[in-house]
Amino acid sequence: MDEHLITKKQFSAAVLVSLLSPLLRLLPQTAVDFAGRAAWLGAAAALPPVTLLGLILTDFQRHMRPGEGMGGLLLRWLGPVAGRAALCLYGAWFLFYGGFILRSGAERLVSTIYPSSGQELFILVTIALCLAVSLGTLRAAARMAVIMRAVLVGALAAVLLLSLPNMEPARLGPLGWRDLPAAIPGALPFASVCAVSACFTFLAGYVGRTEDRLWLPGAMLLTLGLGGAICAAVVCVFGPALAGTLTYPFFVMIRSISLWDLVPRIEAAVIAVWVGADFMLCTMLLRCAHEALRPVFGLPAPDSLPAGGLAGGRWLQWLEAGAVLGCALAFGLPPWRLRLWSDRYIPLASDIMLYGGFGLLWLVTLPRRKKEKSRGP
Amino acid sequence: MKRAVILLYVCLLPLLTGCGAGLKSDRHDVERLLLIQTMGLDGDGESVEMSVSSGLGPEDRPSLVMSAPAGGIEDAIARLQNYSPENQLFYAHVQYLLLGEEAARRELAHVIQWVDRSPTLRMDTSMLVVRGTAKDAVVGTSQQSTDITQRLASMDRQARSMGWTVYSLREVAADLAEDGGALCLALEVAPTEGNVFTDEMRADAVVPAGYAMLGPDGLVGFLDPEQSLGAELLRGDPAGLLITVSGDTLEILDASAHVSGVFGPDGVPTGIDVQCTLRAGVLEKAAGQDMAPEALDAALSDTVRDWVAGAAARTQEAGCDCLGLGRKVLSTAELAARWGGAWEALFPKLAVTVTVDGQVERSYDMAE
Repeated sequence: MDEHLITKKQFSAAVLVSLLSPLLRLLPQTAVDFAGRAAWLGAAAALPPVTLLGLILTDFQRHMRPGEGMGGLLLRWLGPVAGRAALCLYGAWFLFYGGFILRSGAERLVSTIYPSSGQELFILVTIALCLAVSLGTLRAAARMAVIMRAVLVGALAAVLLLSLPNMEPARLGPLGWRDLPAAIPGALPFASVCAVSACFTFLAGYVGRTEDRLWLPGAMLLTLGLGGAICAAVVCVFGPALAGTLTYPFFVMIRSISLWDLVPRIEAAVIAVWVGADFMLCTMLLRCAHEALRPVFGLPAPDSLPAGGLAGGRWLQWLEAGAVLGCALAFGLPPWRLRLWSDRYIPLASDIMLYGGFGLLWLVTLPRRKKEKSRGP
Repeated sequence: MKRAVILLYVCLLPLLTGCGAGLKSDRHDVERLLLIQTMGLDGDGESVEMSVSSGLGPEDRPSLVMSAPAGGIEDAIARLQNYSPENQLFYAHVQYLLLGEEAARRELAHVIQWVDRSPTLRMDTSMLVVRGTAKDAVVGTSQQSTDITQRLASMDRQARSMGWTVYSLREVAADLAEDGGALCLALEVAPTEGNVFTDEMRADAVVPAGYAMLGPDGLVGFLDPEQSLGAELLRGDPAGLLITVSGDTLEILDASAHVSGVFGPDGVPTGIDVQCTLRAGVLEKAAGQDMAPEALDAALSDTVRDWVAGAAARTQEAGCDCLGLGRKVLSTAELAARWGGAWEALFPKLAVTVTVDGQVERSYDMAE
């Protein structure tokens, strides 16, 4: 097992890269819709719920045994019936959410770069790649995430830097103490994005044991910072009123960037790079779903199995990929309806599953944890 | 099994090159690409007419200039492609977007929305309103050796060096959304007959014609050239603007405008106070005139005051805060929260007071 363990740095990279996918799907337009020019303050306003979730996740991790993830913990704490029901629920949610990520990623790529193409091709290619990576070891995926983090955060930093000439900081104001309550609704999309990191507790069994268990909250805080910076930049460039009406304000902003006369346009490269975030999140959701469902069927951990064939539980991974593909194809909605799902229904469902579900689990298992604590280590 | 999976992925790779079956319709054949550099749009709210110019090609290849009437913008683009089957028209490098007067009046919101959704056009494209039709500007100014893009680029450079601002579609859309009004450089087609005597240069020229005032629904009017100079003083950076005062041509060296609100005892905005300071240098002196320095300063102040007050009055008449005065008056969070929603109704009724402190610098001042 030890040779399949990943470091917390690799795992943080996987979390951060994955969070960049919902980050740009929800921000900045949803935050601007909710909070206007105070949208970027939503990052600060989201700190209390995000910190609370981070503490709950850290507490769960503290009670996990070596090699055990959230799946094993739930089964141990809730018992075989309730535990299996909870795992099936989360497994199904991860597959559904993965399918939605595939569809929305394809829609974004097609509508911004390849307007005459169909989304199905991108969905098929991405799910094939996600399946290939999820059939491999988590360690390989996490190492890939480290490279992708450098590329994506580098691209984001470059975009923000190159957009500086178009920014008018005056568009952020005037803001006063009275505007702070307006920032509170703006916290919702930030909190929704960070909640996605809760899925990764199902993979916690693969992380090498370290004393420092704050890597999840760390990735969440970094995501909040990046989200706040993106919101502030977009509001500076377009103003809050226009930013709220644009389809993908961040990508419209990128479209206006040119590297002097050397490279007139860079948006195709940046938007294509962002497919990496969708790919990483979808791959991780496939793995999370497998970690949630394999205890239900009593299957072994996949990393020690040969990648080819269907033996030893590999069949379940193919089935999960098929389910994700099915969900993605079923989401064939017109763009405006997909945006409504993306901005409202999916974040709401995600918040219920992750904030509501994990919060409830924490409360339900409180007596059990107290009992474990009184018994001592 | 593993080899079969690897083979399957290798087979998928050609799909990612941009030339695969699924991407066929987005493929751009570089040899056939024709970059459209200027796009003109006329429309009456029911139909549009799009005029495009490709810019001069290498080895003096003349610019391709075409125009197509259609029901909508995308329809017009499809028709233009039919007119030039040997080329693939490519709109990702459009530098100038010209709106005819009627299109600016009726199609502005449509154009902004279309550019937002367009995967090719960029929001930072320079936007200009043509007094008349955009077709006249695109088609009438092109000739064998010159075309509208070249003329616009030259006008753009000249206008910027003289202190005018060529606003982009993004700036216009952002100001409209924020202030409920925006300015956009207007241009007019000027015949060159009697002024240009080289045959291949004798097509019409384009010249700046002040600013167009845009409201949320579209064009609401034009500022006179003098009022436009006043607007520039309030909004932008007018350094370089040329002003003729009592026959002398002055160049503005630097200027600033401070805008504040005047509030009644109950806190209701009752007026706008504009205080401008500007420093100008004499660029050209009228023959036979030797005004006293104080008199020239006063004449400069009076002239500029009239222009600024004229620009403010004109925008008040139009009912659109194209100068962004609201943002300056309601500069604190408290004021914005209290009056931001009512600003559109309040703005036309406010009394605008303008004071200008102009100073003309002379070379003999320096000698002293």
